[in-house]
Amino acid sequence: MSSSDMIRIENLVKRYQDLVALDHLTLSIQEGEIFGLLGPNGSGKTTAINCMLALLKYDKGSITVFGRNMQPDSYDIKKQIGVVMQNVAVFEQMSVQENIDYFCGLYIRDKAKRQSLVEEAIAFTGLTDYRKMRPKKLSGGLLRRLNIACGIVHKPRLIIMDEPTVAVDPQSRNKILEGIVELNRQGSTIIYTSHYMDEVEQICSRIAIIDHGRVLATGTTEELKQMIKTGETITIEAIELDDTLLAAVRGLPHVFDLTYEDRILKIRLSTARHNLVRILNFLKEHDISFGRVFSELPTLNDVFLEITGKELRD
Amino acid sequence: MLHLFKYRFLQIIRDYSAMFWALAFPIILGTLFYLSFGHVGLEATGDSAWDVIKVAVLREDTSSENARAFESYLAMMEEEMLDIQDISKETEALDALNEEEIAGIYYIREEPSLTVAKNGLNESILTSLLESYNQNAAMFRKIAMTHPENLPNAVAALEDYRQATEEVSLAGKDLNPNVQYFFALVAYACLSGTFLGVKSSLDGQANLTALGARRSITPTHKLTLILIDMSVLFVIHFFNILILCLYITRVLGISLGDDIGALLLVDFMGSMIGVCMGIAIGCLTRMSLGMKMGISVLFTLFPGFLAGLMFGNMKNIIELRCPIINRINPAAVLSDAFYCMGIYNDTERFTRCLLILALMCICLLTVAFLGIRRERYDSI
Repeated sequence: MSSSDMIRIENLVKRYQDLVALDHLTLSIQEGEIFGLLGPNGSGKTTAINCMLALLKYDKGSITVFGRNMQPDSYDIKKQIGVVMQNVAVFEQMSVQENIDYFCGLYIRDKAKRQSLVEEAIAFTGLTDYRKMRPKKLSGGLLRRLNIACGIVHKPRLIIMDEPTVAVDPQSRNKILEGIVELNRQGSTIIYTSHYMDEVEQICSRIAIIDHGRVLATGTTEELKQMIKTGETITIEAIELDDTLLAAVRGLPHVFDLTYEDRILKIRLSTARHNLVRILNFLKEHDISFGRVFSELPTLNDVFLEITGKELRD
Repeated sequence: MLHLFKYRFLQIIRDYSAMFWALAFPIILGTLFYLSFGHVGLEATGDSAWDVIKVAVLREDTSSENARAFESYLAMMEEEMLDIQDISKETEALDALNEEEIAGIYYIREEPSLTVAKNGLNESILTSLLESYNQNAAMFRKIAMTHPENLPNAVAALEDYRQATEEVSLAGKDLNPNVQYFFALVAYACLSGTFLGVKSSLDGQANLTALGARRSITPTHKLTLILIDMSVLFVIHFFNILILCLYITRVLGISLGDDIGALLLVDFMGSMIGVCMGIAIGCLTRMSLGMKMGISVLFTLFPGFLAGLMFGNMKNIIELRCPIINRINPAAVLSDAFYCMGIYNDTERFTRCLLILALMCICLLTVAFLGIRRERYDSI
């Protein structure tokens, strides 16, 4: 923990009767980061966010935001936070512009300043052509963008985004991700929760992997990948192998795991030079025919798999 | 704050389902009342003339004492309630009845009787006149048989009652019983502000709606948000009630009283009690939305029923059996305020009604405040 922490969570425990939602969760988030909270559904990401925002009571631990204890009446702190909730939270009866203006008004009193911020938020989220439309008429992606506009319109110092791309088409998703990076460039610190590892990998400067309410690992994408044994995954399609050959592959240097299913061989190897060449030479020596071959560097899913023993989406 | 007020106002008036129950439904209900009563005598807070009912009276036996008494009774009702046609033969009377020229035929005999051709308000009135006579006659006969010495006292008591009844009709206004349905309707409409209140308070509760969570994490104090919501709701609902009263008085032509100031005051308090009740129910944090809406239905329709919305005489029955219910039922208090204002001109009772309503508002707001005071939730 350093003194420049924007948010510091220590030993946070939250129970729902017998269920431990947060189990001594400890985190620190520094100014200027896009901090990713990565975990499967039910891992405790949203609970952690709600505790951070002083919406939820917790049983144990402490939360400081901007160096101060976060309480329900910490209005000075709340002024500097923008939140994009997991569920779209807008008024159905008001237009896009009215919604953004309403939420801006909860933070900014000055009318002229508010008008300019609303225009900026509309332009930033690409909602200019839809400003007069009611939320019911918007597509899922546009609705998410409206949700984001309402959360960021007051240009907060800290933005908390709780799975903002759930049920969004790929095109809108990319736009949203680009927007988040841009917000960070403009000076906002961002906490981003998701169970989509590719998103987190794409935009987050630091990531915490969370499961069963506990932080399992924290670091940059590279740091996390270095924490695990897998250095490379080689996939070979349309290959015929018997048990003897499979055992032989398993015995090759740096191979520590493999799966063979539906004539697809997946070999996981530790980091080493010429892994692919070694495998291909083995196949040639044994005169084994095969289809396509892929070599992939480890992903966050591999990290998650190794740390938790299960896939992220399980 | 004006900014938040403006948007909340727009949001609520565009919530068509909530506005339907708060505004359109009472208007529709009022129209149905008007149509079902056939608008007979609904202008009965007195200024308009009562349409007397045309009847035939056939004298079959004028020798018995009871027949003579009944004849006198009908004569007494002539002009006030009845228009006795000059028909003496039964066949002519039956023809007139079939042609709907008259509403009924009274037979003067030892045991007086009535013949009507259909069910309707006029026919009901004719029946109740006969029943009223029979009841009084039976009472006198019983007293004459058991305690003849008390007969003069009984007659005197009845005279006193008649006199007292006449004194209740103040300011030259006689009450048509059907107008009380409209008083109960306005009272019910006031309470239907509950639905607006419940829906609105949900938008402030993080454990029930995403909007509630979203609004709870802004730097605007929760109490400020609630007060803004309440002001907006009150303004909207007050206008809803004014629109309903205008519709009843101007379109349906039913007078709710002449004192506009007093009418506005009752509407004001009525709107306030409806909105406060909704906010109080909405702020009961542990209940689901469905449960809250169920309670709202109960807290609007049931008081309305007790105040006479479905059965006109209900309020009077309760007044006789358990008057405290009429003191704590906001719909009954509102309805009573309308009576005091439109019929009785009873300022003291009118003031008491308003004070009771004000006290209820304070209690409901206290409940609401206690409900939202806790700003952190156990679960969301």
